[in-house]
Amino acid sequence: MSQLELRGIRKTYPGIAEETLKGIDIDIASGEFLILVGPSGCGKSTLLNTIAGLESITDGAIVLDGQDISTMEPKDRDIAMVFQSYALYPTMTVRENIAFGLKIRGLPKADIDREVARVADLLQISHLLDKKPSQLSGGQQQRVAMGRALARRPRIYLFDEPLSNLDAKLRVEMRTEIKKLHQRLGTTIVYVTHDQIEAMTLADRIAVLKDGELQQLGTPKEVYDTPANLFVAGFMGSPAMSFVPVTVARGERGPEAEVRGEDGRSLTLPLPDYLADRVGQRVILGIRPEHITQPQAQKQDSRLVATGAFTIEVTEPTGPDVIALIHLNDTPVHCRIDPEHPVTWGESAELMFDMKKVVFFDPETEQRIAPH
Amino acid sequence: MTERSHSGLRPSRIAIHAVLILAALVYLIPLFIMLITSFKTPMDIRTGNLMALPSEWTTLGWSKAWSEACTGVQCDGIRGYFWNSFKMTVPAVLISTLLGAFNGYVLSKWKFRGSDLFFGMLLFGCFVPFQVVLLPMAATLGKLGLANTTSGLVLVHVVYGVAFTTLFFRNYYVAIPDALVKAARLDGAGFFTIFFRILLPMSTPIFMVSLIWQFTQIWNDFLFGVVFASGDSQPITVALNNLVNTSTGVKEYNVDMAAAMIAALPTLVVYIVAGKYFIRGLTAGSIKG
Repeated sequence: MSQLELRGIRKTYPGIAEETLKGIDIDIASGEFLILVGPSGCGKSTLLNTIAGLESITDGAIVLDGQDISTMEPKDRDIAMVFQSYALYPTMTVRENIAFGLKIRGLPKADIDREVARVADLLQISHLLDKKPSQLSGGQQQRVAMGRALARRPRIYLFDEPLSNLDAKLRVEMRTEIKKLHQRLGTTIVYVTHDQIEAMTLADRIAVLKDGELQQLGTPKEVYDTPANLFVAGFMGSPAMSFVPVTVARGERGPEAEVRGEDGRSLTLPLPDYLADRVGQRVILGIRPEHITQPQAQKQDSRLVATGAFTIEVTEPTGPDVIALIHLNDTPVHCRIDPEHPVTWGESAELMFDMKKVVFFDPETEQRIAPH
Repeated sequence: MTERSHSGLRPSRIAIHAVLILAALVYLIPLFIMLITSFKTPMDIRTGNLMALPSEWTTLGWSKAWSEACTGVQCDGIRGYFWNSFKMTVPAVLISTLLGAFNGYVLSKWKFRGSDLFFGMLLFGCFVPFQVVLLPMAATLGKLGLANTTSGLVLVHVVYGVAFTTLFFRNYYVAIPDALVKAARLDGAGFFTIFFRILLPMSTPIFMVSLIWQFTQIWNDFLFGVVFASGDSQPITVALNNLVNTSTGVKEYNVDMAAAMIAALPTLVVYIVAGKYFIRGLTAGSIKG
């Protein structure tokens, strides 16, 4: 159980003008599951490698339990890492793989055997201990890689996209398993992924990175419901949030904005009161698919709900929902509709806009307009 | 499978096989002639057909070549030189292979500023002709006090071979994921532990490639042997040359052929024993994704 502070981490590679990490500040509490998420090339893996000590930092400090470990060798940091490619030692058996780090640290054989047995039991790989990695399936290799990390009981666990080499079904299974393991062991974990669903499901807190800069740090709910800027809003959520440019107008009951469908029909959407001082200005309306549904009677009495008819252009049934595509102000917008409420592509359908959770962005700064 | 067996009967297939078999025969005929000549009596050689089997099989040529034939003024056969070659080849092969493995490890997994340039320059070593280094090498060996010794020859071959072995191992290790080294570093393994415990055990195929290549090169070398060794320290290639060129009366072709066979056998054995790894090792890098 350890607490990790990243203070103004900067990283510049020789010969590359742009900084790879531009001053990252994150405090990770003891026992916290932090996920670093972002598109490829955002610096998340580099950040993980600097925590592990596999890469040096140009500026800043990495502080583990109050001790500055920025210049320490990886082996002295007491940190374990699970790699995307698993990086199991191919010539060693599973047992030897798990025991390797313990052996190097000079543990007595009895202790090593006990530790290997404990870890193998924990991950249900006891029957695989005498096999070579090449004889294992991808999921089993993944378990062994985790076992190797767990065996040393390090202060911090780092996961570098550990599930991205697994097929979809196994990935969901292992995701659950990692979450269970974390809940059981209460370890501090820093986990890198580019998969925003993995981030949402696993994390205590999510750090969204882009171009070496921290975009937002918050709980999955915070990041999802109140994204800091357009990038975070577009990155988290699937199907992604739709962005509709609108002009704020003054209505009888508060601010409002008009949106026009592909067929020219328009609808006046009520806007939250905090946009009153933006009347006459352009803002970007960020709306998630679940905010546009079939009309639901129990919600309609709110001021912030509006209903209008729009032409459905595409329907994509996903099972629990049907994702429908419409156009608002020449922007494609996804809606999430109950499959019991059939809509047909090419035809018009009544849609209910629930504006309570809709977010707004300043088109200049791309930052979210916070309620005040 | 059925398609393949059908295509096996096609005329084009037959033609290809015929050409291949013919080529193999062309290559095997000299070996065949050497082998049968080495078992003939001198009389048989003088009177008989070159391609004919011996009328009387004898190992006289072999035993004479091994222990009695004259190489220059001495007449102790080539056995002493055969062991010379072993004493030169085995250490030279092992040292150059281990150095190459180590170089390859550093150049692929512990890159330093300019390491790629270093590797590029090292590759030039593969293209330097033997003749170019003769004089400087002779001077160096003289200064080191290793002139005309087997150790001197070992040094020459190690220096010359390191360029090749480094190339082999570097390219093999480049294909091994860096994550393996990272994982080992986090496990607490140091520079040498990672090399000896993780990478070297994975290196069997390329080790075999390096072994065969170096063994063949060093065992078969004539130029370095004739220049940097003299008298008792000469390798078998030089002794074979001396044996064949020593003319005392009648030319004993059976002895010459037997000596040549003896000189060629070790490389043949090495290739037969380790050959399957050779192809595997050469293609290993390309198969790994």
